[in-house]
Amino acid sequence: MSTETSAVPPRAVAPEPRARAARRVRLLASDTLYYAVMTTISLVYVVPLVWMVMSSFKTQQQIFDSPWSLPTSIDLSVLTTAWERGGFGTYVGNSIIVTTAAVVAILVFGAMAAFALSRLNFRFRGFFLVFLALGLLLPVQSYFVAQSSLLNAIGINDTLWGLIIPYIGLGLSLAVYLLKAYLDTLPRELFESARMDGCGDLRMFGALVFPLIRPGLATVAVFSILSAWNEFLLATLYIQSDENKTIPVGLVAFTGRYATDYPMLFAALSIITIPMVAIYVIFHRQVTSGITEGTLR
Amino acid sequence: MKPSSRWTPYVLVGPAVAFFTFVVGLPLLGTIGLSFASWTGTNRPKLVGLDNFVRAFGDDVYRGAYLNTFIYIVATLVLEVAVGFALAGLVSVKGKRTGWYRITFFIPVMLPMVVIAVLWSFLYSDDGGLINSFLGAIGREDLQRVWLGDPSTALLAVCVVSGWVYAGFYMAIFYAGLQRVPQHLLEAARLDGASEWDLFFRIKVPLLRGLTEVAVLLCVTGAFSTFDLFYVMTNGGPDHATEIITTYVVSTVFRDHEVGYGAAMSIIMTVVVVGIGLVYARLRRGGGVDLEY
Repeated sequence: MSTETSAVPPRAVAPEPRARAARRVRLLASDTLYYAVMTTISLVYVVPLVWMVMSSFKTQQQIFDSPWSLPTSIDLSVLTTAWERGGFGTYVGNSIIVTTAAVVAILVFGAMAAFALSRLNFRFRGFFLVFLALGLLLPVQSYFVAQSSLLNAIGINDTLWGLIIPYIGLGLSLAVYLLKAYLDTLPRELFESARMDGCGDLRMFGALVFPLIRPGLATVAVFSILSAWNEFLLATLYIQSDENKTIPVGLVAFTGRYATDYPMLFAALSIITIPMVAIYVIFHRQVTSGITEGTLR
Repeated sequence: MKPSSRWTPYVLVGPAVAFFTFVVGLPLLGTIGLSFASWTGTNRPKLVGLDNFVRAFGDDVYRGAYLNTFIYIVATLVLEVAVGFALAGLVSVKGKRTGWYRITFFIPVMLPMVVIAVLWSFLYSDDGGLINSFLGAIGREDLQRVWLGDPSTALLAVCVVSGWVYAGFYMAIFYAGLQRVPQHLLEAARLDGASEWDLFFRIKVPLLRGLTEVAVLLCVTGAFSTFDLFYVMTNGGPDHATEIITTYVVSTVFRDHEVGYGAAMSIIMTVVVVGIGLVYARLRRGGGVDLEY
């Protein structure tokens, strides 16, 4: 497409003025073409999202009759109506509780295990390492059937604990793996000199390791937050009562209840999407690297 | 390093191992055990040997789920990995100045899949849906259809959504890889008079081989464990046209209460996924990888 825009092979002799002008015109043309193509591709992403938000401000009739038109007026009260009628306060609250609890536990327990597995010699270290790495290899599908019975048996199905505990277990493998890889790159003198000064393992973890691995923790946090926030399979299987639903499950319940009320549905989708997109645009660098590094591990 | 006392390492790994055992370890053993049993979830489990496995291999819906997964894999290799690669190539032409494009392409990746599934169900809707109305506007009414309700288009329609979501993800990893291509290689090639086109296909693409192999593995194994999109958009319908392994396992276990049978189907899938991963890892060891992520 625009193959010769950014790099012009350096030449020993400066080109003649006319040739330079011709090149500038060509550059401009290929630049324009480039941005035209990129913008067209972007529309494939932007149009559905804008359509979603715009449709929430239209009437049912307008959505059907003129799907491409802009709403005649923007009345934000439709968003608050959807929020209240759908009981999204409860869902959002539950998602915040579940995500926070799971992510804090993943970071603390994951960092503790990563420190021991990376820096300390002890029996069964290799076994624990392989055991925890199983979580990276196995899909959720290999164990969720019995997991639901297990949660049933101890009576925490259909409670927030019934999501928090599985999310912790699911997130730990990745956390341990990433943080251990991070710790492995640090010089051993750092730990040995602390030991010489009489620093025990637990104090070393709190005072030295936890602050040191902060960049690794950030990656794990971003990945874990989004995984817990967006998780649907376990949440839809384990949670039945409305007061314990998280956002994704609550949204599906909402689409069932208001299946024919299109403006309401689009308003609900917008309520969930707009804040997430806003946060993402602010922290896009952290979000992108958190997701890609977390998935590639 | 020697631990400061004999028990501290176990204190440190203890919580992680305990949670992991409870959430993954025991349920994995339990699922394996259940796969040899007949159980409704409430009665006494009864051992039935390999019956569940025999039944799974003869189950047309289950075998169809693998065919659908295979189609989904082929489609998403193109729509996610190849498109993502192309997008990465496009944004890398202007590098830093394409920030907004990169941000835009990545938006669906971080949104809940449920939101995307509901949104796209509307886009595909036969009544007021954006896609049919777009086709109408450009005078191609002949192409309009009930995308998700027609067994011949439903699976492909879901694949397109998957591509819409994950192309941005693969773009991000390929773009990160492209940024790591050593500048001195590119400059040397430029001095030799290579065009940007040559640089991309002769230097960058070969260097991204390792990353591409990882992406393909991710796309293939990810396809087996996909769920949200299919469950919300079609739940396996119409007439099992979009049935994938997990939607079938979920309806078998949680609707029909055939826990043992569902467990057996899960275990077969696990063997397939882990098998693909291990075979792939062995194959890859042969090729040189220059730009590991």
